[in-house]
Amino acid sequence: MSDLKYLSLEKLTLAYGDTVAVADLDLDIRRGELIALLGPSGCGKTTTMRAIAGLLTVKSGHVRLDGADITHVSPNKRAVGLVFQSYALFPHLSVYENVAFGLKLKGLRGAALDAKVQSGIASVGLNGFANRRPGELSGGQQQRVALARSMVMEPKVLLLDEPLSNLDARLRLEMRTELQRVQKETGVTMIFVTHDQTEALALADRIVVMKRGAIEQIGSPQDIYNRPQSSFVADFVGFENVFALEGGKLKANGGLYDLQGDVPAVAGLAWRPRMVTLGSGPFQGKVRGTSFAGEHREYLLDTPLGPIKAEVDASQPMHDLGAELAFDLPAHRAAPLASFA
Amino acid sequence: MFQNRAEALALALPAAIFAAAVFLVPVLILLSEGFRSAAVDGAAGGGWTLSAFTEFFSSSLNRTVFLRTLRLGAIVTVVSAVIGYAAAFAIVSLKPSTKGKITGLVVLPLMISPVARTYAWIVILGRTGIVNQAFQALGISEAPLRILFSETAIFIGLLQLFLPLMIISLISALENMPKDAIAAARVLGANWFQVFWKVILPLTREGLVIGGTLVFTGSLTAYITPAILGGSKVLMLETLMYQQVSVSNNFVSASVIAFILIVMSFAANILLKRVATARNRVRTEARGTQ
Amino acid sequence: MTARNFFIPVTLFLVIAFLIGPFLIIVAASFSAGETLAFPPQGFSLRWIAKVFTVESFRASFAMSLFLAIGGTAVALMLGIPASYALSRYKLPGAEVIRTVVSAPIIVPGIIVGLALLRYIVVPFGVGITPALFLAHTALVLPYAVRVVSASLDNLRSDIEEAAVLLGSSRLGAFFRVVMPNIRGGILSAFILGFVTSFNQVPVSLFLSGPGVRTLPVDMIAYMEIVFDPSVAALSSLLAFLSIGIVFAAERFLGFSRYV
Ligand SMILES: Nc1ncnc2c1ncn2[C@@H]1O[C@H](COP(=O)(O)OP(=O)(O)OP(=O)(O)O)[C@@H](O)[C@H]1O
Ligand SMILES: [Mg+2]
Repeated sequence: MSDLKYLSLEKLTLAYGDTVAVADLDLDIRRGELIALLGPSGCGKTTTMRAIAGLLTVKSGHVRLDGADITHVSPNKRAVGLVFQSYALFPHLSVYENVAFGLKLKGLRGAALDAKVQSGIASVGLNGFANRRPGELSGGQQQRVALARSMVMEPKVLLLDEPLSNLDARLRLEMRTELQRVQKETGVTMIFVTHDQTEALALADRIVVMKRGAIEQIGSPQDIYNRPQSSFVADFVGFENVFALEGGKLKANGGLYDLQGDVPAVAGLAWRPRMVTLGSGPFQGKVRGTSFAGEHREYLLDTPLGPIKAEVDASQPMHDLGAELAFDLPAHRAAPLASFA
Repeated sequence: MFQNRAEALALALPAAIFAAAVFLVPVLILLSEGFRSAAVDGAAGGGWTLSAFTEFFSSSLNRTVFLRTLRLGAIVTVVSAVIGYAAAFAIVSLKPSTKGKITGLVVLPLMISPVARTYAWIVILGRTGIVNQAFQALGISEAPLRILFSETAIFIGLLQLFLPLMIISLISALENMPKDAIAAARVLGANWFQVFWKVILPLTREGLVIGGTLVFTGSLTAYITPAILGGSKVLMLETLMYQQVSVSNNFVSASVIAFILIVMSFAANILLKRVATARNRVRTEARGTQ
Repeated sequence: MTARNFFIPVTLFLVIAFLIGPFLIIVAASFSAGETLAFPPQGFSLRWIAKVFTVESFRASFAMSLFLAIGGTAVALMLGIPASYALSRYKLPGAEVIRTVVSAPIIVPGIIVGLALLRYIVVPFGVGITPALFLAHTALVLPYAVRVVSASLDNLRSDIEEAAVLLGSSRLGAFFRVVMPNIRGGILSAFILGFVTSFNQVPVSLFLSGPGVRTLPVDMIAYMEIVFDPSVAALSSLLAFLSIGIVFAAERFLGFSRYV
């Protein structure tokens, strides 16, 4: 029970002055879970993390951690770690002193302190950098120091706010594996914020998609990727063709269209470009744009339903711009959407 | 950004209360005295009136001092702008290493006590000073000229005091100017006069305004220079105010002068700021329509 | 091109001669052996430099100025650092009003501040001259303290304080552990700027002098109205070298000009 609800947010409402940023948020996180918080800019990801860390006063609701209500516990007594997007290393202290900072405050001294600091530094592969100042490190190295500094505190929960967004593409992949490794080795419960759906899909045990201060969907990466529950999530994870349903018909561009096959009784349907059948079907469209993506070719069609994106095998013959094409949106392949905004 | 208001106020209020109690409130009371009807002994009392101001300006001595203060402020500002442009232009065209050293020499006087800086002019401009010695040796004058205790002496002192402020404002303005602006204008056929008027002046206006404000308000409110170089006869508003208090015990008149000084400094600040931002708006709007 | 090659050095020479020359003359005059202030100096001696140290009123007023400059600046910083911190880190109601109030003394001519203090603090409340001078100099330095410290706080990321708190530090502890060490240069620069400003200040102190209580610059003005010997020149040179020395050291070790 307590392992299933290791960290719980209950009806959490957070506000800046009078503007509510997060409203009535409920979320239960298991011990040792790796959670990705995904959502567009301004949806309240950072706000939620800051509330868990205690850096933001909770307006109403509760934060529970490991069986205790920590809603009003001050941030320095919570055992919650936070890795900032900007790393927030102490510029006047060396790598060693940065990592030792929290341990010293815990009262650790001498050999015990040294052993912990050294192993923390070693665990992120920064041996030999102990005496450098943060200003003398690369972005990726600074990121590792920030990680080590939080990890040596053995926090109950480690929060990471866009930990990888300041790194270049290659380093980002490298740090991704690094994060995963640290999490597996220590079994720490982790929540990380990201804008990048591939990052969330690759790393997380579960993904929490947020929208305007509320949770839109929680699920495994497979769930989120294949079975979005709402038009918002479908859009967000790359279903390019998202439509509402009305009385079993597709509602698009102000008109209603019949679909072939059994149409489920849901609020909407969504197709990834590769789920669209091109070359045959009841609909007609005109090729407005095309782009080549290695194995695939993507077409953008102007249709009575509005713009449609379709993707076909690149080995198939190419259609010219302006060509009229038949296509189909097969109902059985679509992801059913429980809600449509 | 922390949210806790009580904590924020606890941190900020001591300083604010201190400044208010030691500075703001006494100064405001002092200023208000100028609007009270004067009692016989020069102390304030009674209701609100502008009579102290009309009385102040009815004295021709006071009018002279007021106009002299304005005139000196304006002349010092204009002259320091002219010299400042020449000096700043010369300095920014130097090699970086030399530039640092020369800039250091320009700001050096700012670290020296104004008393010492003003005192030097006594040695130079006095009856037996260098200038008079030179004039007599060259036969320009027979008897020593009276340069000290004149408007000229105050002008020289103020110019020396405040010129560095103008020069550093203009140096940073010139350095922030787009590098190729002058070259581009030259290529387009502008002569140096046109380059200055059409390119350099508009592009450095903000620096000129900052420097000008510093020099003008500094000159208005300088005390030491008119006190030492103007003596007790050639007064500016600040020295007049001192006399009104310490010689005539006329506090109402001192309050009037204080009010005039503050209004003039504020007016100069606001006016010049307006000039700078108005120019900017024109410039950004022009850029927007391109 | 040759016109420019001629223009630059001549302009610079004239301007610098005008700005620095008088100071050099004062320095030269202070080594004079003659009885009166003159240039070129008559002979060479250190007698006037030596005399500075023997004039009783100079010693007293120097001590007073030193006390005001050090004490006033220290108090201004003790008031100014928390205020700057609140202004830069908190969402503060009336922040602009507070900023204006604490930086107002810089805009108002010193003589007005001195007179206002004399009339409405010293006389009605029976405050002594020395405490009044102290208050005046503190108020005068406060705007500089707030400006310089604010600038260095604004240059420092605020998330390091949150990081320190999350690592177990209290808020106050975070200030002393991670904020102070990073704005130390700014604080020292504020101190030096405040010191020089206070030490050289005349108008504020004009009305605030009593028997035996005077700041050094006011004392120098009083002295030279009576005696026309080179001792004021000697004292001026000594003080000038002192403040130039301090500022140079500050620039070398702190990069003073970054903060001012
Ligand atoms: N200090 C603040 N004061 C007022 N409003 C704020 C503040 N910080 C955030 N907000 C508002 O709260 C909402 C949530 O912001 P938050 O920073 O949590 O978004 P986010 O999901 O982290 O976005 P991003 O992906 O851009 O980092 C936004 O509408 C934002 O404008
Ligand atoms: Mg964020």
